[in-house]
Amino acid sequence: MPEQAQRRAPIAPPEEKSVDGAFEDVSHVVLSPEPKQPKDNDASRAAADAIKMRRDKEDEAALAEALAPTIQATLRESVRTNPHVLADALFPVMGPAIRKSITETLRSMIESFNEALEHSLSWRGVQWRVEALRTGKPFAEIVLMHSLLFRVEQVFLIHRKTGLVLNHVTAPAVLSQDPAMVAGMLSAIQQFVHDSFSSPREDSLDSMTVGGLEVWIEEGPHAVLAAVIRGHAPADYRVALKETLEATERDFGSALDNFQGDAAPFRAADGRLQNLLVTHYRAKREARKPRMAIAAGVLLLLLAAGWIGYVTYEIHKWSEFARSLGQHPGIVVTSYEKSGGRWRVHGFRDPLAADPSLDFAQQGMKPGDADLDLVPFYSLDDSMVTKRARKILSPPPGVELAEHGENLAVSGTAPSLWIVELQERAPMIPGVSHVDDSQLRNAEIVSMQAIVLTFPVGRAELDPGQGAGVAQAEEDLRAIRNYAVRTNRQATVSIIGHTDSTGVEGTNQVLSKQRAGTIAAILARAGVPADALAPRGVGTTQPLRAEDTEEGRRLNRSVTFTVTLASAPGAP
Amino acid sequence: MIQKKACMLGSFSVGKTSLVRRFVESIFDEKYQTTIGVKVDKKVVQADGEEVTLVLWDLHGEDAFQKMRMSYLRGMSGYLLVIDPTRRQTLEDALSLQERVQEAMGAIPSILVLNKSDLLEEWDIDLDRVALLEERGQAVIRASAKTGEGVEQGFSRLASAMLQFPV
Repeated sequence: MPEQAQRRAPIAPPEEKSVDGAFEDVSHVVLSPEPKQPKDNDASRAAADAIKMRRDKEDEAALAEALAPTIQATLRESVRTNPHVLADALFPVMGPAIRKSITETLRSMIESFNEALEHSLSWRGVQWRVEALRTGKPFAEIVLMHSLLFRVEQVFLIHRKTGLVLNHVTAPAVLSQDPAMVAGMLSAIQQFVHDSFSSPREDSLDSMTVGGLEVWIEEGPHAVLAAVIRGHAPADYRVALKETLEATERDFGSALDNFQGDAAPFRAADGRLQNLLVTHYRAKREARKPRMAIAAGVLLLLLAAGWIGYVTYEIHKWSEFARSLGQHPGIVVTSYEKSGGRWRVHGFRDPLAADPSLDFAQQGMKPGDADLDLVPFYSLDDSMVTKRARKILSPPPGVELAEHGENLAVSGTAPSLWIVELQERAPMIPGVSHVDDSQLRNAEIVSMQAIVLTFPVGRAELDPGQGAGVAQAEEDLRAIRNYAVRTNRQATVSIIGHTDSTGVEGTNQVLSKQRAGTIAAILARAGVPADALAPRGVGTTQPLRAEDTEEGRRLNRSVTFTVTLASAPGAP
Repeated sequence: MIQKKACMLGSFSVGKTSLVRRFVESIFDEKYQTTIGVKVDKKVVQADGEEVTLVLWDLHGEDAFQKMRMSYLRGMSGYLLVIDPTRRQTLEDALSLQERVQEAMGAIPSILVLNKSDLLEEWDIDLDRVALLEERGQAVIRASAKTGEGVEQGFSRLASAMLQFPV
């Protein structure tokens, strides 16, 4: 091929000569047995010049081939004798490179880990897990698909004229097809579109969309930059592409112009291409994250607070219930607990104590809300003992019972029969050990001592119509005497005769005694033994009324009774 | 590593794609040839003691209905001109195609591939004409996509010629 021959022809002969001349000098210096005092700087300059000229002749490969073994041996020797020299020299290069590599690896690892972790805990995460299961895709891919705004996965730097790939970078963990073939096909498609649909302005294909992927293409005079983007990149990413392409065209102008298929010089564009591998996650996610997190947090707090509140309320309600229950005389609460979802209250209850169902109502609860496990017992609480005594003794109206520390105080007026019963039964009542009846009056005695039997002026026979009074007296006395027998005592009735103040005192005294005798005789006839009757006359000395009226004087002409109960002679 | 763009040229149905399929790693479907007229494949070959990445543009064969897109040839360092010697016309077509290519790109390395060497007895071309071309400096190789004969050599020779030829 003649062209080839022509191009190979121009090899500068004069230069060759000068190089050979210098080489001759050097070999002469080195090989001459009797060196003629060479100038050291001349020789070193000649060696440097020789190397330089060799390089200028585009025969660098031969030079490199010649020097390579020496340089390798030198390096090996240098490392062997003192590894620090080389290490120190390389440090500025290796240090940052290693750091960068480690940082990048960690960063991407942490990023994807965070992403996955964050989503695996959220509700959305659960939805995506389901989606991953349903579609059979890995969870990480689903996360990426949903959370990614866009991610530049690959960037190609392509030689425009040949369609050959000059450089190619991929994002971490992205699988890519053979870049040489992809770049070629991309150029072919570019060409196809250009030829088939080109507009007058030499426009070209600047983007393609395939499913979730977009390919953005930026064409310069010598190079083409293509970015494979997952998702939708913003318009300003196009600017970044343009700027990178312009800078590349500028910095690699001659390399692009003279491209012969060797992509090595374009490794230097790695950095700027890596810068184009950007990833943007949904901004929405960041905006929503705190809101969602706060909402979830607040909800959790509310739930927790609600739960704590409910539990506290429940406990309070039940402690309040137990407390109010325990305040009732005759009810003792020993414990309460919740088991199997139901509350149980344990304790004791006197059968006469208040009905607990009222307490349920008071706390806004129903009797069915809890099981009351209250064992019956006798409470020694004063009010309970009183209640018990009242139930057992059923006191007649007008009689009061009051327990004060084992002492049952009874007051009022009661029939002899009941008093007897009281004395027999009260000591048997649990909680009562002593009965105080000092304030209890015998109804028959009270009745008898209230009887006034009147007499006509100056006479010792009863006024007409006094039969009922006499009968009452007889009946009362019979009951009193019965009572005395039952209580092991002896009853004595003082029958007291009175007169009005008219007449002479001496006569009145006699008359009053006669009147008492009349009644004693009546009672004796009714069967009262004489030793139980003590008639006496007091004349006018103990008037029942003031005698400023006729009625007063009439009542003073009378007989009254005083009953005395004394211990029987043989009583213990 | 050096990369070179090379094209597969020739008439419709001469066996370009079969040759490539015999030889390359491919990631693209052959339907691209009918849709956009080209499919790009890759093969790393040894040439002159050097590894060369051949990026092969397998162009759709020309026929009455579809002309080859000359723009696909842009930037190529060489090409295989494939003919089917059992069809006399394919040589004529190939030579006229080569003329057009040379007009557009100048004289760049090329190999004339006589495919279907396994069907030698069916060959119908004027072999004297081929010998003449060879005399004039045209590299010629016999190959068979079916048996694999000459395929590797064809691509290696092209790679070697491209390396020696400065663009």
